[in-house]
Amino acid sequence: MANPSVRLDVVKFAFAAGLILILARAVQVQLVEGPEHRANADAQRTTRVSLPAPRGALLDRNGLTLAATQEVYQVGLARDQLRDPARDIAAVAKALGLRRRDVERRFRGRWAAIPGRYAATQVQPLRRMGGVHLDGELVRFHPNPGFARPVLGRPGGHGRPASGIEAALDSLLTGTPGTAVRLRDRFGVEYESPSRLGAFPIPGHDVVLTLDADLQDICQQALDDAVDRLDAVAGDVVLLHARTGEVLAIASAGPAARSATAVSSVFEPGSTAKIFAAAALLHHGLATPFDSIYGEQGTYVLGRRTIRDDHPEGWLTLQQVVERSSNIGIVKATRSLTPDAQFEMLRRFGLGTPTGIEYPTESKGLLRPPHQWSGTTAASLAIGYEVAVTPLQLAQAYGAIANEGVLLRPALVREIRRPDGEVVYRHVPEPVRRVVSSEVAAHLREMLRGVVYRGGTGDPVALTSSEVAGKTGTARRAGPDGYIPGSYTATFASIFPADDPQLVMVVKLDDPRGVYARVTAAPVTRAVLEQVLATRSPALDVQRLASERADERSLPAVGAGSAPFVTPWPAPLEPDSVGRRTVPDVRGLPLRAAVERLHAAGFRVRLTGWGRVAATQPASGAAVPMGALVTVTGAERPASQ
Amino acid sequence: MTPRGRSWVLLWLLFALGILTWIVARQTSSHVTATRLNELREQRTTLEARRAELLQRIRRGESRAVLVPKAESLGLHLPRDSEMVRITVPDAGDP
Repeated sequence: MANPSVRLDVVKFAFAAGLILILARAVQVQLVEGPEHRANADAQRTTRVSLPAPRGALLDRNGLTLAATQEVYQVGLARDQLRDPARDIAAVAKALGLRRRDVERRFRGRWAAIPGRYAATQVQPLRRMGGVHLDGELVRFHPNPGFARPVLGRPGGHGRPASGIEAALDSLLTGTPGTAVRLRDRFGVEYESPSRLGAFPIPGHDVVLTLDADLQDICQQALDDAVDRLDAVAGDVVLLHARTGEVLAIASAGPAARSATAVSSVFEPGSTAKIFAAAALLHHGLATPFDSIYGEQGTYVLGRRTIRDDHPEGWLTLQQVVERSSNIGIVKATRSLTPDAQFEMLRRFGLGTPTGIEYPTESKGLLRPPHQWSGTTAASLAIGYEVAVTPLQLAQAYGAIANEGVLLRPALVREIRRPDGEVVYRHVPEPVRRVVSSEVAAHLREMLRGVVYRGGTGDPVALTSSEVAGKTGTARRAGPDGYIPGSYTATFASIFPADDPQLVMVVKLDDPRGVYARVTAAPVTRAVLEQVLATRSPALDVQRLASERADERSLPAVGAGSAPFVTPWPAPLEPDSVGRRTVPDVRGLPLRAAVERLHAAGFRVRLTGWGRVAATQPASGAAVPMGALVTVTGAERPASQ
Repeated sequence: MTPRGRSWVLLWLLFALGILTWIVARQTSSHVTATRLNELREQRTTLEARRAELLQRIRRGESRAVLVPKAESLGLHLPRDSEMVRITVPDAGDP
């Protein structure tokens, strides 16, 4: 070993052996045991998490957010990780709006779970605090907490079933979860791993509803006021777009109003169903609106049943039968209908079948086929008993009268958009069937207009700026053991405006003080319509409301310098039938004041020029039919003329 | 080991050090980016929550339940239809 070269060889060998050993161990660690070590390291430093996808938003027809997704946090504290427990607990309590004592009481050993969920704004000061653990969660957020909640419903989760639109469109609203790998530092703070990107979560589809937030607010407020004022047990309001079947508002009040009772609860429509009997008679050519029926002076015995009218009537036309809501008149008139024809017409109006609206718990109502009828069923059906409808079904049926006899499927969904904004569905009116001819529908609308304007039961709804057609219904309320003594459902179904319908509304009140629909449901209809007219909702085409009147009903042109601005007034179809009125003297008044005074006096108004009123045509003091056109000439003429 | 060999080892060491420095710099940069990303995400969540709160307040303030009583306390009232004047805008082709 004294030989240096030998010693050098030994050293070389030792180095070589050492290197081989190191290399062998490296191969073992890196290649053989590598995956295991990598997994252990990943488990210590990284976590793979599923990223929940935000649920699609629900919007109203004008783009207002009704329901969105928001991240909230559950807060946990680890006492041994807090740097200064006393100070940190006080800071946590302050940020979360809790008492310090309440936070301290939550500790079980070294860990405390703070109850409740907290918004990101609340937990923001706690994010960098050691020992504070935030567990994020996506929840549904409603900017208007009470807005149409029964219709919107809620997503499922936490052991609760989904409901409403959230349930009906769950698969569309639900997004696709993503995945991510997170790095954890030695303090336990997590970061996105920049080198190991997972899949991004894909939000669900946004759904634009047909609801109009303004109109919904109006209907809900009017209904709540009425239920409160009239001590009603419950109530519903449905507002439809007459030409598209889109539901503009759907309000419910009462103990069962957690679900949309306007879609899911049924009632007997009472006299609002008389128009369907009249439709059957006109459709089959068995009567005209002007055929006479004797009203039996208020009492009529049919078999073992006595039918009564509140107001004894003598001879009435079919039109007057509907206008004055004569039970006897409509029962006698429908005796010429076969059960099949009567049943078929009710069925054609959609009674007894679900409307097909996008709501998960819709009731189909009740309409028994003729082979299940008793001897008095035909008479009962004529006056709206032995048939049960939802307020939505009733609105849909009146919508057919408004829509020239064509029944439309009511819709709650207007548009569905992908997360990138692409529209994948857009609602178009869906005709179900033609129920009656457009001529019959026009006759029916005229009857309904008479209910409001010819001394019928709907006179509280008689607007002076645009005409309303509608029908009252006051029906006994049924309970589990038959009819409840002294308890009634008051309903008013209406079409607005009567001649060129844009809206269809049903107001229903259960057991209101005052009983009769004329003094309970009808004033609610009026209140809603007045407020709808005062809003600037795009759902109501005010321009059409005004201009068509002006075009169709105006007197002959007033010559050069005629009005560039027209304020129309709805004339009755038969102006002479409602009497004559004296044109008030509005000379010298500002145009607006003059128009208001002429409207109040019952005239349509056409304007020419501006400034103060110089003259009217017909002149003040002239007696003209109510609803006639009065041309108001301003002192100043348009510059262009 | 000849001087040439020592230079060679030094070069390799410098090369290895350079590689290590580049790796550490890259990791540090990634860490900073990830931290910034996380902060931005938190900021966005906070701003969204703030927006939600404000939206809720705006809607509550806009609602008839709040507006109508306030308007009535100021002597205003909901207009009856006879108090409304609808003026149609003429078409471009109208005289």
